[in-house]
Amino acid sequence: MNAGRDRTARRPWGFLSGGLRRVGISGHAAVLLAPTLWLAIFFILPLLIVFKISLSAFALGRPPYLPMFEWAADESLSITLHFSNFLFLLRDTLYVNAYINSLRIAAISTIISLLIAFPMAWYIARSDEKYRNLLLMLVILPFWTSFLLRVYAWMGFLSRNGIINNILMALGITDQPLTMLQTEGAVFVGIVYTYLPFMVLPLYTTLVKLDQSLIEASADLGARPFTTFRTVILPLSMPGVIAGSMLVFIPAIGEFVIPALLGGAETLMIGRVLWDEFFANRDWPVASAVAIVMLVILLIPILLLNSAQNAVVEKDA
Amino acid sequence: MKKPQIAADTRPWRDLDAKPFVRIRNVTKTFGEVYAVDDLSLDIYKGELFCLLGGSGSGKSTLLRMLAGFETVTAGSIEIDGQDMAQVPAYQRPVNMMFQSYALFPHMTVENNIAYGLKREGLPRDEIADRVAELLKLTRLENFARRKPHQLSGGQRQRVALARALAKRPKLLLLDEPLGALDKKLREETQYELVKIQETLGLTFVVVTHDQEEAMSLATRIGVMRDGKIAQIGEPQEIYEFPNSRFVADFIGSVNIFEGVVTEDEDDHIRIDSSSEAGCDIYVSHGVDCAPEQILWYAIRPEKMTLSRERPDGDANIAHGLVQDVAYLGDMSVFRIMLDSGKRIHVTRTNASRYDEDAISWDEKVYVSWASDAGAVLVA
Repeated sequence: MNAGRDRTARRPWGFLSGGLRRVGISGHAAVLLAPTLWLAIFFILPLLIVFKISLSAFALGRPPYLPMFEWAADESLSITLHFSNFLFLLRDTLYVNAYINSLRIAAISTIISLLIAFPMAWYIARSDEKYRNLLLMLVILPFWTSFLLRVYAWMGFLSRNGIINNILMALGITDQPLTMLQTEGAVFVGIVYTYLPFMVLPLYTTLVKLDQSLIEASADLGARPFTTFRTVILPLSMPGVIAGSMLVFIPAIGEFVIPALLGGAETLMIGRVLWDEFFANRDWPVASAVAIVMLVILLIPILLLNSAQNAVVEKDA
Repeated sequence: MKKPQIAADTRPWRDLDAKPFVRIRNVTKTFGEVYAVDDLSLDIYKGELFCLLGGSGSGKSTLLRMLAGFETVTAGSIEIDGQDMAQVPAYQRPVNMMFQSYALFPHMTVENNIAYGLKREGLPRDEIADRVAELLKLTRLENFARRKPHQLSGGQRQRVALARALAKRPKLLLLDEPLGALDKKLREETQYELVKIQETLGLTFVVVTHDQEEAMSLATRIGVMRDGKIAQIGEPQEIYEFPNSRFVADFIGSVNIFEGVVTEDEDDHIRIDSSSEAGCDIYVSHGVDCAPEQILWYAIRPEKMTLSRERPDGDANIAHGLVQDVAYLGDMSVFRIMLDSGKRIHVTRTNASRYDEDAISWDEKVYVSWASDAGAVLVA
């Protein structure tokens, strides 16, 4: 401890850590303090506010909800908690359907992404070392243009007189333009296209570490290529599969722009409902309740995947 | 030179009619412009423990990987047990490999690692369990069956790798530097274990190694590889005592090599003038296929030379020099001697007695002599 103090005294920033230590904050705690403060101010606090609003009643006015705490004339504090917003979500099938729809679309998109990303990540991980970074850069390349712009571009591809329909008709494959835009299929295309890099990157990092000799050993012991995939490659790439699935599934549930631009009226996702409640109906309490429920729904898969990942990590440790 | 008489059935390579188990015919493997294996032919017989010995880049590992089916053959053919392997993928070959890195599946227990190949064969559950138990016993891993590879020591991992490779009772077991990752003491122990297992199970082993000591103690025969070709094939003693080139002589053990010119070429002896290197004539008491005036090399092992203060009788095989350094190794001492010609040689002497007051030491002038059949005459 003394040696440590001596060393800090000689550092140019020694006065800083010394000062912090005098008020009971060690360097280690100081490092943790910044992100903790950030999270508290920009995540926990807003979350609590949203939670509070979700338990208030709707009102016309500004803000558009009734206060939760009231100091009554008889000098008593009355706290009014309105659970009606949450009950309303349960009662109205619109919300339940929107949640189920979001989960379903996110789950299917995640699976499609996984199926596309795995061979991509495999190919990149197995390619010559000097091309790997280039290939990875190509995967990330779409991020260099605006997300919104890319989704608009898909509208150009998928619309009735869009590029795909024009090509199909020019080749005589169809004589009628196909309806592709404003379908659920278009939403899958949009989500998979947008989030694919988030699946490829974690898969790549696990696959690139996979020892080639394990695959050879498996073949040597009589396993056909698919068996090797099932018994060796897949179990060993689970950390990447889980991380990638989380990175795709979680944002896909709350996705708003893609279903709004590419989806039709029938692809109702929870992000859209939230938007409508907040901006169209100006019903902040219900909008807040929708957000809180979504968070809880998201927490379940996050916790499940997290524990699965921990199990995998423990196995490998 | 008398050679011990051993029945031909334990040394099938001496029997011209014996059918080889592995037939490698004019095999070439190129990676781009590089010839990793260059027009190599080799026969390996059943029950052999064949060592492919060579430095890095000699092509020994590539040859092994071609036998396992991990590399395709650019030209030539490989036959195992009478079957051409060209169209047979790795997972269908009657061959198992023990990897240098062991390549144990990190997510499986020791048990499951060993059972992996048996499960692929679709054997019934209890038969697999019996076989695994048997292998665990053979490799003394009974207490580690449920551990994961990362919970084992290096020597234990090596034994798991061996057990896994043996599980399917392969006709041919390929071992890539099987003892490379072990420390010296463990390596010596394991070495004998390997030989014992190979003999009891009657398997054919092909071992790749860069360690000549390992090759000498393990092998029934050694194939010394260099630049994708076999430099020499032979039994360990043959390779050591009768190397066919300076490369082999130098690669196996330590050796002193004197360059010289043939001055007498008779049927029963030759005489080499090596005044520039040995500083004396070299007399060889057997005929050699050479011509007068030909330049050749005389390779002699350090333990086959004698040191003395007095000049021994004779007009050849007597060099003179100064002891520059003595390295005491316990069982023997290595003398580094600078000959009068300026050439440095090594001579070893067994430390037969515990204390020798009159031992030859630093800065002494000594005579180095050797018997007329002690060295090998090399023309390449």
